[in-house]
This record gives sequence, structure tokens and C-alpha cells, in this order.
Amino acid sequence: MDDLEKYIKENKPLFDEHKADRSKMWDNIESRIETPKSNTLWKSPLLKIAASILILISGVSVYNLSNISGFNQNLQNNTVHNELRDIDTYYKGLVSFQVQLVKNNQKLQSKDKKEFLSFMDELDKEYDALKLEMAKNLNNEYILEAIINNYKKRIELIENLLKQINNSKKIDSNEDYIL
Amino acid sequence: MKTKILYTHKDLVEQSKSGDRNSQYQLYELYVDAMYNVSMRILSVKEDAEDIVQDSFVDAFKNLKSFRYESTFGSWLKRIVINKSINHLKLKRITLVPLEHHEYYLNEEINDQVITFDLNKIKAGINELPQGYRQVINLYLIEGYDHIEIAEILEITASTSKSQYHRAKKKLIEIINTP
Repeated sequence: MDDLEKYIKENKPLFDEHKADRSKMWDNIESRIETPKSNTLWKSPLLKIAASILILISGVSVYNLSNISGFNQNLQNNTVHNELRDIDTYYKGLVSFQVQLVKNNQKLQSKDKKEFLSFMDELDKEYDALKLEMAKNLNNEYILEAIINNYKKRIELIENLLKQINNSKKIDSNEDYIL
Repeated sequence: MKTKILYTHKDLVEQSKSGDRNSQYQLYELYVDAMYNVSMRILSVKEDAEDIVQDSFVDAFKNLKSFRYESTFGSWLKRIVINKSINHLKLKRITLVPLEHHEYYLNEEINDQVITFDLNKIKAGINELPQGYRQVINLYLIEGYDHIEIAEILEITASTSKSQYHRAKKKLIEIINTP
């Protein structure tokens, strides 16, 4: 190595003379790496099964709630209360079973478990809010419709997620980065 | 020791792999200036270098799962930046390596000696070099690649890289010594 090479190599850091426009560049980067939470969440077959069962539960609930709206006005309050209680017990039982299944599964990574459970917590919160709303205003048809629509949306969401899993699986297999 | 170096910022890398935005930002903060300077040395145009660095970070974060500590994260990222920058020049149809006198390798030592070592003069001298010479000098002396790696990056043979480097250095000394 001659003197010039030695001099340049020794002074390498001094060749970094430019300053990047950090915040502008990060904004651009961040907007391009936005990934929906669901992309990494729904990859395990077990989660697929859990999601399918949720669809089933939601389907049953929608069916039950649809029937409720047609009931005789006088009987409505009691019936709705009973129906709600039944659905509640059934739903909670199945969900806690699913949650336990996920918690005990050793093949799942703890990160996936955590994400799944946080998703479940969100669903629980939503369900609680709706139940509260029902108790406040039981006779309101709009609220019943809103609950049914909420269930429908959840089913739709889960169906979309299932589609995404299948799509992302196909893409993932071809996605290793080659320099 | 080598293994230890390869795992530099392992925690940040691992958390970034699982999509943690804060860790991704910390990695970005650590490397953005260095990467911007790498790209600027190749492209010399601020906007082009910004685009390339942004692209590189986006690609790096999206493909981080394929990073397996075979090099440090920094050198993995730097290679992405360099490849993208060189590809950008190719797209602009800028000739990277002059075609003349490729076939033989200048074996003799360069007799010219640098009269005075002035960093600013050396920087200016490198910028004055023809495109092809400049890339080889940058990649060898500042980025620290060997001729086999430069050959891969520029898609030339290692002996072409060596001969280009010797010519480039001779030219650089000539420029520096010009009063």
C-alpha cells in the first residue's frame, strides 16, 4: 500500500461530507413500508382454524339476532335478554377455548401469539361496547341492525384475512432477496 | 470476535424483522448518513442519491427476513445501496468503465508520488476523475472492497478492476500534483 492509499484509508470518515435530509427521507420510507397488521398475523394454519370457528360463531349470532328483531314487542325485552345471555355464554366459551388453544400451541412464535391475543382483546372490547349499547336502548331497531352489521363486517374482515393468507403465502415463497 | 461484529445491532435488526417501526427508525438513524454518502460518491446528484437511499431502506426492511448475519447489517445495506446506485447509472447509460486498454494489467509500480497530502485536493481530484476511474477508486479506497468484489459490482473481471484502479490512481496523482 502506498502513501496515498494509506492516507485515504486512514481518513475515510472525512469523505462522508454530506448530510442526508433525514426527516423527509424517513417520511418517504415509512409511507412505503406501511404493512397492515394482518399480513403477519394470519399465517399459521391454527389461526386459520380459529378464524373459521369465529366465522361460524358470528354466523350463529347473526342468525339469532336476526330472529330477535321479528319477535313480539311485549316479549322482546325478555327474549332478547335471554338470547343475548345464551349467545354470550356460547361465544365466550368458544373464544376462551380458542385462546387457550393458541396459548398452548408450541409451534407458534410468541410474537404471533401476542398479536393474535391482542386481536382477540380488540374483539372482546368491541363486543362489550355493543352489549352495553344494547342494554341502554334495547328496543331500538337501529342498534340491532348495527350489531348485525358489525358481525357481518367482522365476518367479511376475517374472510378477507383468509384470502390474504393464501395470497401472501404464494408471494412469500418467491420473495427471497437476492443481492 | 468476527461473529460478534456480524451481530452488531442484532436486537434492532431482529425487532425490525418483526416490523417494529421504532427499531426500523433507529437502524435508519444509525445508517442513513453513511448510506447517503456512499450513494452520493457514486451518483453525485442529491435527488438521485436520496431516491436510491430511500429505495434501499425500503427494500432492506421488506427483505430483512433474508438477512442472516452472513455480513454485518451495515455492509449488507451498503451493498444494496451500491448495487442500486450502479444500476441507476447504467439506466442513465453512463459508461462505468472506459473500453480502451482493458485487456492487460499494469504491473509496474506507479512512480509518481503525491507532493502534498491535502484532503480537499484529494476529494476534488477524485471528483474530477472520469466516471469509470472514479467508481473504482471509490469502491477500492473508500468503500473498502477488493477487486473481486468490485468485479461483481461493476460486472467486469477482477483483472480489469485492477488495471482500471492503477490507471485511476495514476490519473488522480496527476490531478493532485497539478498546481
